Amino acid sequence: MNESIKQSVKEYILNTFLPGEDPKELTDDLPLISGGILDSIATLKLIMFIEETFGVTLEAHEADKEHLNTINQIADLISARKS
Amino acid sequence: MNPVPAKAAPATRDGSIGLIDFAVIVAQLLLVLLLLRQYQVENSAGFLLVAQIAFAGFAIHAWLPLSYRLPFFAVLSLAATAILLGPVNFAWMFGIGAFLIGICHLPVSFRIRGTLLVLVAGVLAAQRAGALPQPWSDAIWPILGSMFMFRLIVYFYDLRHDNAPATPARTFAYFFMLPNASFPLFPVVDYKTFRRNYYDEDTVRIYQTGVDWMLRGIIHLILYRIVYYHLTLTPAEVTTPALFLQHLASNFLLYLKVSGLFHLIVGMLYMFGFHLPETQNRYFLAAGITDYWRRINIYWKDFMQKVFYYPALFRLKKLGANTAIILATLWVFFVTWFLHAYQWFWIRGTFLLILQDILFWAILGVMLVANSLWEIKHGRKRSLGTAKFSWRSVGVMTLKAYGTFWMFCVLWSFWNADSLKEWFVLWHALGGEYTLSVLVWPVVSMIVIFVGYIPATKLETAKDPRKDGYGWIRDRALTAGVMVVLISISVESVSTRFGPEFSTAMHTLRSGTLSRIDTAKMERGYYENLTDVSRFNSQLWEVYAKKPRDWMDVENAGLKRFVTGFAQNELIPSFVSSTKYGTVTINRWGMRDQDYAEKPAPDTYRVALLGSSSLMGWGVTDGATFEALLENRLNRELAGKPFAKYELLNYGVPGYQPPQQLPNLDRAMALHPTAVMYFATGREQSRSTFYLAEVVQKGIDIPYGPLRDIVAKAGVAKGMTEAEARQRLASYGNEILTYVYAQIGERARKGGMRAIWVFLPPDIQGAWQQEAADAERIAENAGFVVLNLEDVFKGMDGSKLILAEWDHHPNARGHEVIADRLFEGMLANSNRIFSVPSPQAAVVDPSVKPLETKQ
Repeated sequence: MNESIKQSVKEYILNTFLPGEDPKELTDDLPLISGGILDSIATLKLIMFIEETFGVTLEAHEADKEHLNTINQIADLISARKS
Repeated sequence: MNPVPAKAAPATRDGSIGLIDFAVIVAQLLLVLLLLRQYQVENSAGFLLVAQIAFAGFAIHAWLPLSYRLPFFAVLSLAATAILLGPVNFAWMFGIGAFLIGICHLPVSFRIRGTLLVLVAGVLAAQRAGALPQPWSDAIWPILGSMFMFRLIVYFYDLRHDNAPATPARTFAYFFMLPNASFPLFPVVDYKTFRRNYYDEDTVRIYQTGVDWMLRGIIHLILYRIVYYHLTLTPAEVTTPALFLQHLASNFLLYLKVSGLFHLIVGMLYMFGFHLPETQNRYFLAAGITDYWRRINIYWKDFMQKVFYYPALFRLKKLGANTAIILATLWVFFVTWFLHAYQWFWIRGTFLLILQDILFWAILGVMLVANSLWEIKHGRKRSLGTAKFSWRSVGVMTLKAYGTFWMFCVLWSFWNADSLKEWFVLWHALGGEYTLSVLVWPVVSMIVIFVGYIPATKLETAKDPRKDGYGWIRDRALTAGVMVVLISISVESVSTRFGPEFSTAMHTLRSGTLSRIDTAKMERGYYENLTDVSRFNSQLWEVYAKKPRDWMDVENAGLKRFVTGFAQNELIPSFVSSTKYGTVTINRWGMRDQDYAEKPAPDTYRVALLGSSSLMGWGVTDGATFEALLENRLNRELAGKPFAKYELLNYGVPGYQPPQQLPNLDRAMALHPTAVMYFATGREQSRSTFYLAEVVQKGIDIPYGPLRDIVAKAGVAKGMTEAEARQRLASYGNEILTYVYAQIGERARKGGMRAIWVFLPPDIQGAWQQEAADAERIAENAGFVVLNLEDVFKGMDGSKLILAEWDHHPNARGHEVIADRLFEGMLANSNRIFSVPSPQAAVVDPSVKPLETKQ
């Protein structure tokens, strides 16, 4: 299940924030917040996407590097919330 | 574009370090210490001592088992705070801090704990404001406030959401973190980051980054001093387009002080394994309003985002992304304004409520909302990997950053203006003369921004030493080389080799004193409310942060009373006041002095001393003023040589400016003096112009025709801003002073009195020298016997001769030094001073003309 979540999140990030970039460069460990891909506006959009797509609810304190900095972390958070 | 850095695989996350790496770091820390000493970086705040404690602590800390390090850092931080503040202050501070932390951990609900914290904070706030008594000294407030005002919010927030258990060592390390004892203005370090990023990288890389950032901080602070001492202007000095641009840019560049301090602070924390984010990221290169907000104070932005922005955004997102972003952004800027005022309250004790401040944050908030909406609609270019370099992209970014830089220069000048009216008047300077110098700031800023956007010029954070190889050695050599050069040129024997101008400039950069503008503000602040030191933009606020609330001032001491007429105020006759420095007695004639008969006894040499606060003896007890000491010595050592008795009548009035000495002389003449001794101090001409500007603004009649003529010539009228009135009168300083001195000289001659002019420096060092030479020539032309005491404090430790850091009046020892020098000066000129001219022989010198006016 985690892989499909990762794929879905990855596609969303590529299409929404990184159009035209090489998908191979967006690895599961790439820092998204500290790397400047996800700023506050992008983070909000991503959260809204996650909540709509996966039917989960995220908390304000989870919008940080500890939970959303990499695709792996995002997938783990969604999985944990779904289970 | 935001290149994404590759995540390096750290080599040693266990905190271990090899002997050679350790030696390299320690050698660099010694150079940092030398730099701090040579440039007196935050010396008055005790930072050199804190740095010595920190670096010595580092040498132990680096070899401790990892589990011992955090407790060691906590103890070291507490010890440094105790050493700096003293045991009693520290005990109170620790007690209050521990109490607040204890409330956070009470075994009751989050809501109850939060309510208790608010209640306790309310009591503390009432004590800070002086509404409730407190058993501790005022001195602890700025640092206590700095440690807890924001960190308590973050800590409490994280306690609710963070699963990691808090430990006493980490908690005390977080609140009392080492360099905080020196700095009321401190970055808002995030608790979770403080916890999570502890030794999470290669150890040597963390330490080296700390050294690099401390060096970067020192360079920022040196650049700040160049701006602060040499480039800042008062609004009255902004008369041409070139000066207008200099004023705008230099105001904004003063932020180098904050970025310098924050780099130093965070760099020092790195030496103890705290791998924190950058505090500022080349904010002068911000290419847009959002980019600026992300770069200028990253810790503040993260704090706002975490505690206020995201919680608001999550509550509002059901309204749609755009609405949520607009409302949450405006909310953040409202909170930012409020928390700046709140910060000001804990540090200074008063709530900052200024229209420019409110408007500044409101404008910034609206601009950021507009920018965010634009980004939502059009997106922001992001890229994976390193951005490709092209001159075109550098050019585009340069233009964007250039526009942003000047936009913030304008906003910053607005924020820092004393009033909206004054800010609008500043723009009149654009109607002044256009010369080539108008291009200096636009061109220099363009070049700096352009160079900043060339990737090769970017200073990189230290890389992994095990991967960087040669690059690592090269970068360390560069760091050490820069430090050695900065230390070398700070040594007087080296700097003098580059010429006197360079040496003089280096001398100013090496001192941490106030600039001429802040010195003038401080002098003015002795007698007025400090409404013009109302932002963190001036170095003066740091000095005032230490000033006790009950520090004496004229109004509170009740020494003066308002009178109608040109003088505006005078000392209250027959009044006795008790100050913390002793008794201040005003005699029946309105002098701070013993009583004297209306007419002197025969063979008495009676001198009327005209001057201001130093003469009056501000801050010393009766009998300890240099006037009283000198009078005693004259009577003790010169009785009968040539006069039987000597009487010095102290007509010093705090806050008096040169033109006010004219009505003061009228009062003095009533007691039949044999001589008049005028005490000049720094910036006689400027202060004369300021006074005329003030009386015109207040609509007070000027009873001296020539002074009225000058006001008319300058076109000064009631209703003008203070800055404009001062600006118009600026070139008439010599002319005004010439009139004042000539009047005193003429009246002395007509009355058969000797006129003596004494120059008494207002400070041990400062910008008072600028106008002193002209003032002396004017006095000579007016027929005064000149006694120049400008070197009276030379070679002495200035800090031991003044009342306090925030009040540079001479203390009792300072008065003794002045009295001795004055006695020697009078003896050396005794043939002129003690020979009383005959009134019949008095001839008004028609050659007394004003010096050429400096334009």
